[in-house]
Amino acid sequence: MTLTQEQPTTLAGTGRVARVIGSVVDIEFAADQMPDIANAVLIDIETESGTRTITAEVALHVGDNIVRAISLKPTDGMRRGTKVRDTGSPISVPVGDVTKGRVWSVTGDCLNEDASTFEITERWPIHRSAPAFDTLEPKTQMLETGIKVLDLLTPYVQGGKIGLFGGAGVGKTVLIQEMIYRIAHNFGGTSVFAGVGERTREGNDLIHEMIEAGVMKDTALVFGQMDEPPGTRLRVALSALTMAEYFRDVQNQDVLLFIDNIFRFTQAGSEVSTLLGRMPSAVGYQPNLADEMGQLQERITSTRGHSITSMQAIYVPADDYTDPAPATTFAHLDATTELSREVASRGLYPAVDPLSSSSRIMDPQFIGQAHYDVATRVKQILQRNKELQDIIAILGVDELSEEDKIMVSRARRLQQFLSQNTYMAEKFTNVPGSTVPLKDTIESFKMICDGDVDHIAEQAFFNVGGMDMVMANWDRIQKEG
Amino acid sequence: MAASLRELRQRRASVQATKKITRAMELIASSRIIRAQQAAARALPYTRELNRAVSAVAEYSHLDHPLTRDVEESEFQRVAVLMITSDRGMNGAYSANVIKTSTRVVQRLREEHREPVRYVVGKKGANYLHFRGLGVEEVWEGFSDAPTYDRAVEISDRLVADFLKPTAEGGVDAIYVVYTRMESMITQTPRVRRVLPLEVVEGVKEVGEHDIVPLYEFEPDPETVLNALLPIYVRSRIWFYLLQSAASQLAMQQRAMKSATDNAQQLIERLTREANQARQAEITQEISEIVGGASALADSD
Repeated sequence: MTLTQEQPTTLAGTGRVARVIGSVVDIEFAADQMPDIANAVLIDIETESGTRTITAEVALHVGDNIVRAISLKPTDGMRRGTKVRDTGSPISVPVGDVTKGRVWSVTGDCLNEDASTFEITERWPIHRSAPAFDTLEPKTQMLETGIKVLDLLTPYVQGGKIGLFGGAGVGKTVLIQEMIYRIAHNFGGTSVFAGVGERTREGNDLIHEMIEAGVMKDTALVFGQMDEPPGTRLRVALSALTMAEYFRDVQNQDVLLFIDNIFRFTQAGSEVSTLLGRMPSAVGYQPNLADEMGQLQERITSTRGHSITSMQAIYVPADDYTDPAPATTFAHLDATTELSREVASRGLYPAVDPLSSSSRIMDPQFIGQAHYDVATRVKQILQRNKELQDIIAILGVDELSEEDKIMVSRARRLQQFLSQNTYMAEKFTNVPGSTVPLKDTIESFKMICDGDVDHIAEQAFFNVGGMDMVMANWDRIQKEG
Repeated sequence: MAASLRELRQRRASVQATKKITRAMELIASSRIIRAQQAAARALPYTRELNRAVSAVAEYSHLDHPLTRDVEESEFQRVAVLMITSDRGMNGAYSANVIKTSTRVVQRLREEHREPVRYVVGKKGANYLHFRGLGVEEVWEGFSDAPTYDRAVEISDRLVADFLKPTAEGGVDAIYVVYTRMESMITQTPRVRRVLPLEVVEGVKEVGEHDIVPLYEFEPDPETVLNALLPIYVRSRIWFYLLQSAASQLAMQQRAMKSATDNAQQLIERLTREANQARQAEITQEISEIVGGASALADSD
């Protein structure tokens, strides 16, 4: 599937449509003009209102001079015999500074501006190979987000891959937008956003927010949302990634890549796989699920000195983390933040599950002993609290030993304190967001673990930034009550 | 399939085991509570009569004896607070209520610049004070649900001894008891009672101007009689409180265990439903995979 970025050398052939089933198109070519696998072919559909050209990608050679291609646009109006042109190369997208500040489709067409107003100087094919082993970045450094729960329990890696897992409606998209706001704003480098099979409205909101915040000029957005056929949703992440790779490899920049949502990529792969007639594997997914994911994820990486830091939202179907789609994604990530329905249902946002979220750099040699110790203690207290929940449910809180009672009360404070006011949630809560420096985060969680703030009522810890806000809340509560 | 089937079954089994225990404890408590209640009821007439007699003596005689001395509350310096808690848990808020009440008493004493001295019956109360590093004068353990008269004697003798000791030498000026009164099978309330010095007398009429005050004659002399009366009086009071507390403890245990059994039952039902759902999801998925696979193979032929 991977091709190097050579310019097309073969003479492009022409063929004709032999069969159309949904977005799968069989095309007959002359025996000596068969297009390569993954080549883009153009199909001209004549309608009453004029000629429409749609792109399809060759997926299979089925024999008898016929190739099976996946259309990237709806195939209505297509007939048998429609003429097909082979472009001689895979789908390519514009790269470089021209991409910044614009919105692109999977095939590299600009969606928000007229193509005649700017000039595209360079295009790269979207199928490329991952960087070689010896060029990979060996350094590990933490990326501070200013969100307490993330910094403390799932420290993000600069130039690493970060996954935000969550079922429907627990706040994945809000959190990824929060990340764009927090990181992209203070970042200064280039950001690339890929909207994969999510709501079109959210993409629109994002564009307007970016224009308002003034970061649009450093951002390239690529959208292939819910309304697109599976072929587009399967390739849009690659299109965005190719743009990011150009910034990394040619312009030697640090790049942020946001993908919302990787699960839609897998889902599209499964749809395509079924359309191609492959036998489904576990839970109906495509048999090459791990391969497809690997192809994408291995390319999202940092090479010496130039990083791609990627943040990916991953939908978890039916809250089941053992589902093959999220399970396959897990292994590729440096840090996984799991959003849980249970936490969300208690109104604690960001609804990060502190016990199942993890990070590769949760290790004293990367984050320092003090941070590591506090994070471990927080997890211990929360774990103990979880174990005690059944006892409390059956026998009541009075049956706990004195130590456990204190443990439970601290765990409750920790849970509240893990929630935070975020910039993106201001429109829901009317509380402006806060950024907490890592040092303060560690210090304030240490205070709770040590029992220094046992006297402060639980509600003072809710939806706050640092410990100073807790104290302010506590003063207010005492005055009122 | 929120959690795995195996995990859900494991949890259900553990909740079921807990339920068996709480159910057994509920039955044990309900079988013992009748006896405890009867014992408490039997002790009542004697205690009441003795109370009345001692009150009468104190009211109408004007003797200078620790038992009858009329001391104002504001004169107390060191005050003994005996709290009757349980040895074991599994009885709801029984111990917690007593501890809360006695903490209030102690706090009030402190605010009035009096020194509280704590005496505790039952492990729970002792643990509570020990965990918080609060001093305890003496602890009696091991009989909270079935007190014997011997233990009541032991406790009251110690209290009386401290009461008779001068304050400067570590004695106390007053004795308060925090116990749980058995109002009925459903209501048990923590109460604070002053044992010594004698409190407002019950069952004794106000002495009017024209009333004839009963005249007591003491044989062989008041000193001897009152000296003998004092320990008997305290013993009977303490004995009564221990019995009341024991009955309350059993009643609360029965109630707590009943609700625990109900809670466990609810949890089991929920877990069973979740487990069934998980099982059904697994089966459905396997069937659809088999059918899908078979039809895919059939098509390719």
